[in-house]
Amino acid sequence: MRGNMRLLKTLTWVVGTGFLLILPWLIPTRMHVAVIALYYAILASSWALLAGYGGQFSFAHMAFAGLGAYTAGLIGKFVRLTSAPTQTCFEVPLGGWWMVIQDTASPTCLEQAKATMPVGSLIVKLPPWADIVAGILIGGLFGLLIGALVLRLRRTYLALFTIAFAEILRTVVNAERDITGGPGGLKLDPLFPNGVTLLGHEFGPADKLPPYLLMLALFLASLGLMYWLAGSRFGLFIRSIREDEEAAASLGVNVVRYKILLFTVTAMIAAAAGGVYAHFVRVIAPNMMVIKEMSVVIAMAVIGGMESLLGAAIGAILIEFALEQLRNDITVGSFTLNMADWRLVVFGALLMITLRFWGNGLIYPIIQRITRRGVAEETVAKRLQAASANPEEGP
Amino acid sequence: MIELDVNNVSKNFGGLLAVNHVSFQVRGPELIGLIGPNGAGKTTLTNLLSGALKPTNGTIYMNGQRIDVLPPYKIARAGLGRTFQVTRAFRRMTVLENLLVPALAMHPTARQGQFIKKAREVAEFLTIDHLLNEYARALSGGQQKLLELGRLLMLDPDFIILDEPFAGVHPKLMEIIYEYIIETNKQGKAFLIISHDMETIFTLSKRLLVMAFGKLIADGPPEEVKHDPAVIEAYLGSDSDEPWKPVRKVKKEVVAA
Repeated sequence: MRGNMRLLKTLTWVVGTGFLLILPWLIPTRMHVAVIALYYAILASSWALLAGYGGQFSFAHMAFAGLGAYTAGLIGKFVRLTSAPTQTCFEVPLGGWWMVIQDTASPTCLEQAKATMPVGSLIVKLPPWADIVAGILIGGLFGLLIGALVLRLRRTYLALFTIAFAEILRTVVNAERDITGGPGGLKLDPLFPNGVTLLGHEFGPADKLPPYLLMLALFLASLGLMYWLAGSRFGLFIRSIREDEEAAASLGVNVVRYKILLFTVTAMIAAAAGGVYAHFVRVIAPNMMVIKEMSVVIAMAVIGGMESLLGAAIGAILIEFALEQLRNDITVGSFTLNMADWRLVVFGALLMITLRFWGNGLIYPIIQRITRRGVAEETVAKRLQAASANPEEGP
Repeated sequence: MIELDVNNVSKNFGGLLAVNHVSFQVRGPELIGLIGPNGAGKTTLTNLLSGALKPTNGTIYMNGQRIDVLPPYKIARAGLGRTFQVTRAFRRMTVLENLLVPALAMHPTARQGQFIKKAREVAEFLTIDHLLNEYARALSGGQQKLLELGRLLMLDPDFIILDEPFAGVHPKLMEIIYEYIIETNKQGKAFLIISHDMETIFTLSKRLLVMAFGKLIADGPPEEVKHDPAVIEAYLGSDSDEPWKPVRKVKKEVVAA
């Protein structure tokens, strides 16, 4: 039974990964949607780990994605590496190089420095992967701080706190136009500024396949990491905390430590998704952190099944494709329905119906039916066996 | 060998003195009953012992270590385990997972696989081994109480607090709980058992603590406490000659064994 289940799980991973790998050849014109769908899948599954497994109902997840995105964007805009000191900008030595941070007070300091720097000195931008990594670290730092601040808050209070945090962050980004670009947005370099060669085929910076494969790799890596965590003592402890914090603590679980760890890990995953997304779309705006976006991620997780990482991820992918598909207007006779607006109504209705009739989502019950197949029969068989061994005791 | 020293402990909830300067000691594997009318402060006292609440005054030492300043998880790891008045099984986790949580919490570097055998043995002892892969929410109320006891066996504390372990339990399961207490006590564990089931608690305990209005009004062998006029007056509010009417019959041979 256990061997069969392991085989089934391995098969699911292989078939699922294989399908996502050949997807670009199945829908070559929908690659943009596919990348965004994977972005939402990372966010929905990591939120499922936070809320579905850990019981921490946070509205700050998109804010963490925004932190990753804006950290990447701001590093690209303001940070350079130079092979010689500029003497005019704020700079920090870094392993034989200088990390130069141009602030808004001296935007031309690098230009001025070029005149005084030795001939042949290099001024380079950090590669996108480096600013994505920086975004992950910043996301983790904020996750740690938020986790430490909210560790005594539960349910409604936690939700309100994280809404406040997300809104403050969005407002600050919106207001600091000189730094962040404000509502006009912040531009970023593409993920592969010089293009990339894959299997002997050259791809330009604007090609969609390399970003798709990168987002897919991030999706699989984050899902793998989260499944590993969920199956470890970490997973057991956060689920026990979700069920009953006081009871978990009375059994020796360090509730504070695991809540903070959970916030930090999920914030880092969201920030990683945000960083890759930012380099993919190339212009980010504070709108990516609005509550509506957060609601979409929550709805994806709820419809897929928030107690299942895979359910939430599949839910996110299917819903993103469905939402894009529903953009086409529907005409019946002389009546035309503007689906650009109405698709969200359909989405909302689906969410309400799911919550009312399928509290565990639409995908998770299917997964459970497969993974827990035979458990009830096994229980009944054992009970009958025990009863026949001790007939006077009864069932 | 457990040594517990509760010194002059009080708990004040905004003017309401729920526990009022309570002191007692536990030395070794004692089997202690804690009784008192509703609102006497029994559960508050257990919450103070387990760290769920911090005392307003007083200190609690366990094996020489001051525990009233520690968070609950450290108190659990120091050797004090408890159950709750209302069963608090992790309902959306399987019975096996429920049992693994305390074992892994107590052994930070151990792997899950190391405790599966022990979890099976514990479940077998408590007659819930056929339910190992079921979610705890599928268990009956009595079975959930057994599961809570199983978690304590996995935690393996020296001092165990059971809050109403017999409430609402089928007589068959009650016998199992009885057996659990007797067997575990024989292994050197001390018990503090809160119960309104008078016959059971009088039969089971070797020592009784009685609380009323937050105060500890008696501490001694059940036979002495039973006839203490102050206890009869404060606990029942009457001077009945037979205040300790049985609430439920239990098999005494289990205790005798």
